[in-house]
Amino acid sequence: MPDTSSRNGLIPRLTDWLDDRAGVRDLVNDALYESVPGGARWRYVWGSTLVMAFMTQVVTGIFLWMAYSPSTQTAWESVYYIQHEMTGGWLLRGIHHFMAQAMIILLAIHFLQVVWDGAYRAPRELNFVLGLILMLIVLGLALTGYLLPWDQKGYWATNVGTELSSLAPGVGSEVKQLAVGGSSYGHHTLTRFFALHAGVLPGAMVAFLALHIALFRRHGLHAKDKNYAPDSTFWPDQVLKDSVAALGVLAAVLGLTVYYGGAELTAPADPASPYNAARPEWYFLFLFQFLKWFPGQLEIWGAIVIPTVVLIVLFLMPWIGKSKAGHFFNVGLLVVIIGGAVALTVQAINDDYYASGFTEEEATALLDSADDADNLAKTRYEASRNFLDAKDQAHNEAHRVIELASSPSKTPPTGALPLVQNDPYLQGPKLYKQNCASCHNYQDLRKELTELPSYERALVNEEPTAPNLYGVGSRDWIAKMLDPKFVNSKHYFGYKDSPFGTDGDYPEMVDYITACFADLEGEERKAVEEAFDKVAIALSAEAKLPSQVEADKQDAKLIQQGRALIEGKLADIVSEGMSCTDCHTFGEQQDIGSPVLDGYMSKKWLSDLIRNPADERFYGDMNDRMPKFAPHDNAMLNQLDDKSLELIVDWLRQDWYRPEKTE
Amino acid sequence: MTDPTKPKNNRRSAIAAIVAGALAVLTPLGVGIASFLTPLFKTKKSPKVRVALLSQVPDDGMPRSFPVVADRQDAWTGYEAQRIGAVYLVRNPGEAEPIAFTAKCPHAGCLVGYTPGDTVFKCPCHTSSFNLDGTRVRGDEEVSPRGMDTLPVELKKLSGDGDIEITEIHVEYIDYQTGHAEKHSTA
Repeated sequence: MPDTSSRNGLIPRLTDWLDDRAGVRDLVNDALYESVPGGARWRYVWGSTLVMAFMTQVVTGIFLWMAYSPSTQTAWESVYYIQHEMTGGWLLRGIHHFMAQAMIILLAIHFLQVVWDGAYRAPRELNFVLGLILMLIVLGLALTGYLLPWDQKGYWATNVGTELSSLAPGVGSEVKQLAVGGSSYGHHTLTRFFALHAGVLPGAMVAFLALHIALFRRHGLHAKDKNYAPDSTFWPDQVLKDSVAALGVLAAVLGLTVYYGGAELTAPADPASPYNAARPEWYFLFLFQFLKWFPGQLEIWGAIVIPTVVLIVLFLMPWIGKSKAGHFFNVGLLVVIIGGAVALTVQAINDDYYASGFTEEEATALLDSADDADNLAKTRYEASRNFLDAKDQAHNEAHRVIELASSPSKTPPTGALPLVQNDPYLQGPKLYKQNCASCHNYQDLRKELTELPSYERALVNEEPTAPNLYGVGSRDWIAKMLDPKFVNSKHYFGYKDSPFGTDGDYPEMVDYITACFADLEGEERKAVEEAFDKVAIALSAEAKLPSQVEADKQDAKLIQQGRALIEGKLADIVSEGMSCTDCHTFGEQQDIGSPVLDGYMSKKWLSDLIRNPADERFYGDMNDRMPKFAPHDNAMLNQLDDKSLELIVDWLRQDWYRPEKTE
Repeated sequence: MTDPTKPKNNRRSAIAAIVAGALAVLTPLGVGIASFLTPLFKTKKSPKVRVALLSQVPDDGMPRSFPVVADRQDAWTGYEAQRIGAVYLVRNPGEAEPIAFTAKCPHAGCLVGYTPGDTVFKCPCHTSSFNLDGTRVRGDEEVSPRGMDTLPVELKKLSGDGDIEITEIHVEYIDYQTGHAEKHSTA
């Protein structure tokens, strides 16, 4: 017994008091002065770094919990808020995200070392089993955490995972329903996953970790080489090494977080919009790839039977490893498993990024190849191209949704999904592809085809039968329509057999514009060009495009002149002796049979045109190709509903929310 | 005389203690589990949904994708007219009625894709591919255990403005279990 009578300081007295009541000295001695046979070594740090990683997850997780709200209308939204609006939120979430990945790596190292060193042998079998249980808990945490942001990536990747659980013999469907909390993904999927992720699994983790460490202390450290150095104690030699290693792990995690700007948040989960680039996190990628090897009925082998058998063998390792041969088997098996997992992961990544190794020319050459030997490469290329394009588009969508959620009006109470579904920028291309793209082209002519991002390139129709709608109604678009170089091209009216032409020839508009410029040079040509420029500006002002509000205001005078030209003065300038109103209606000048120019390409004009192009204000009886998308007052009878129509029109007019540029 | 310091080996007390203790601990657990099992006791009906007009599906044998819009309930939230999935409608030459395929892949539930002009449907997840009649391109070699799932189709005639007769395509949107060779509804 230490002599306490001579101690007068506050701290020694407090320690004595605590020791007397709780026996803290023994506890501390037990904890810190454990013997490390053969001395402290770097190779012993892995278990401790795992504990540190778990503590980091607990701490960051609790703070994330304080800001997270699990429901389909608030999960993405609250994670968006953490990521983009809370002080250091991106860092908090980034640490949590990357530390989870670090934990998987540390776990693999720890596990590999234990098996390699044969540290699972008696009396440590039970502790090995506890370790495997901890590993499963960590994987469970990773799986459940991936869904919680409720973004497209997590939603679709996890969906595949839970669908696979329905393969389980007999009870598969019930298992899936219980995991998902219903027949399809919804609020209760989130509440269940969150309860698992933040309650059940961490609780189990703490319990099993306590047992794991208690048994580890009971058996003592499994020294690789007891004579490596003089024996030492846990404190301070090994703790120093452990702490330095922990700091190293944290540095790596911080490095990744800063490098990637935190964890990714893709667009909010949309059950109706597939995410073609959905992949599990990299550490589950090998399982994903593994499934591709099991066609049809054999899938249950890949998804359930083989993984279960492997897991059982892992649990039996301490007993298999009793003999030397058994130990070699264990080590060999582990090498095969890890080697196989690495190979599958590499293969999965290779499959997905195969197309990125092709230049434009090589890709074209491959796809045009008639050689059957290239078929496999073609299939691989196309699958990979689809993946890469989907990824590109997902990034673009994510960027846009975050722009919308950051707008001054914020997210509505119904969540962020309506922001996506009501945004012309996001929905326009999809509706356009469904309804317009088989005839029209949509291509920014100011850019080379190869310069366009893949999601814009997807809208290009190389063999259109109707005008290019990019920038429709803008000054540039109209100026090109009035330009003899363009009007006759596939981007405008360069189509024979037009009902507006005679004897299967080009439409009259092409003849008119061509004739206006025919044989003109020098000053004469310039005068005509200037006149048509003014016509373009005046006509474009009719569209009232949001992007041209300022320009229209500034050029009021030019617009006035342009209007006068349209209404008749153009006839005095061009040799044809005709102006726009000789065929079209504009202002006071009435003429039917050609589209009305009042309000040309304005929201109402364009919307009415799409509703019924055969209306006498547009093509009338001459309409021979464009479908009537919504001619009926009763919306149920229409091909296109009013909302979709409005989205298409707004998108074509590039009338969508743009954030204020902050200086 | 029994020694009062020695514990009595009373079997009845032991059993009573175990039963009482177990009841105290397990009752709340049982109640919790019962509520956890709720999804198994909820019945679900497949909605019948109008997906398109017949005029939108010409009889050229090419698939066209349409969203499935229906009212949906998710626990406490009722959604009006939500997109709950997608279907492909294919009307073969000379046929009056289209075939409807659910876009949900029978392998693992991803949404199967189709690029206009292609001769196959392709799933972006595990590269299953299906012919335009829904059968698997490589038969049993394909990762998908069965071909694409067809849905019951019903045509409904409406009278439009004037003399125009309009036909709507309705589809019973059944959610099928994935991963099995046979079609089973999840409902």
